[in-house]
Amino acid sequence: MDWYFWIFAVMALGGGLFTITYKDILPCAMGLLTVFIAMAALYLHLNAPLVAVFQVTIYAGAILVLVLFVVMLLMSPGEKIKKSQVNCSNRFMGAVLTVGLMIFLGIGTKGLSDMIGAKELPEKFGNPGQLGIVLVQKFILHFEVVSVLLLAALVGAIYLAKKRI
Amino acid sequence: MDITTVTLNHYIALSVLLFGLGTLGVLVRRNTLLIFMSIELMMNAVNLMLVAFSHYKADLSGQVMVLFIYAVAAGEVAVGLAILIALFRHLKNVDINNFNIMKG
Repeated sequence: MDWYFWIFAVMALGGGLFTITYKDILPCAMGLLTVFIAMAALYLHLNAPLVAVFQVTIYAGAILVLVLFVVMLLMSPGEKIKKSQVNCSNRFMGAVLTVGLMIFLGIGTKGLSDMIGAKELPEKFGNPGQLGIVLVQKFILHFEVVSVLLLAALVGAIYLAKKRI
Repeated sequence: MDITTVTLNHYIALSVLLFGLGTLGVLVRRNTLLIFMSIELMMNAVNLMLVAFSHYKADLSGQVMVLFIYAVAAGEVAVGLAILIALFRHLKNVDINNFNIMKG
């Protein structure tokens, strides 16, 4: 099933490239949607069905809709993004920095896969029941902390978006 | 070894490439909403790396970590977009070059 990886890898990279290069912002959001869907498909391939479902519901569902909502709130209709005020040298610097970072990451992750080696997957690896058991046995404190964090984010977002701050 | 056979290295390479695209977006684009989307792209790259390691190491902790990242990402998006709306009320645009009111 190697073609599966290649199809969705190309889809993710193409969507990402589209997102950061296209000049109108709504198509950029659609490119981001492509990336999210491709990621969900790759998660399915990696025995993570629950993560794939959450990828679609939370990222492609909630987060992207929120971003689109704000785009439509802030951009007046038909408005194009203005030609950016950065000059070419700024862009060049960005590209150089990015290439440097990617070389750094490539060196850092080289040989990691040999270190791990091939492990035999246990029976029913990654099905939601097992994930839930790990979640409440090993990570119960983190789970509670995340719930408090979400509550704080909720209150903060409502406060910030009010009429006057 | 056949190079088209998918291994952990392929997932690492894809993840690094996506992270680089996100970084490039943050550094090059000037629209704050697009910078926001690029950050989401970077976060997705990291999630892919975590899930890939979880699969090849046969350890479910990586997937649980991704679930936590989803919760944090949801909070981050909500607060970030609220800050953006508040800034838009003051400055009437979303160009990051104008967000220098805290310059000392």
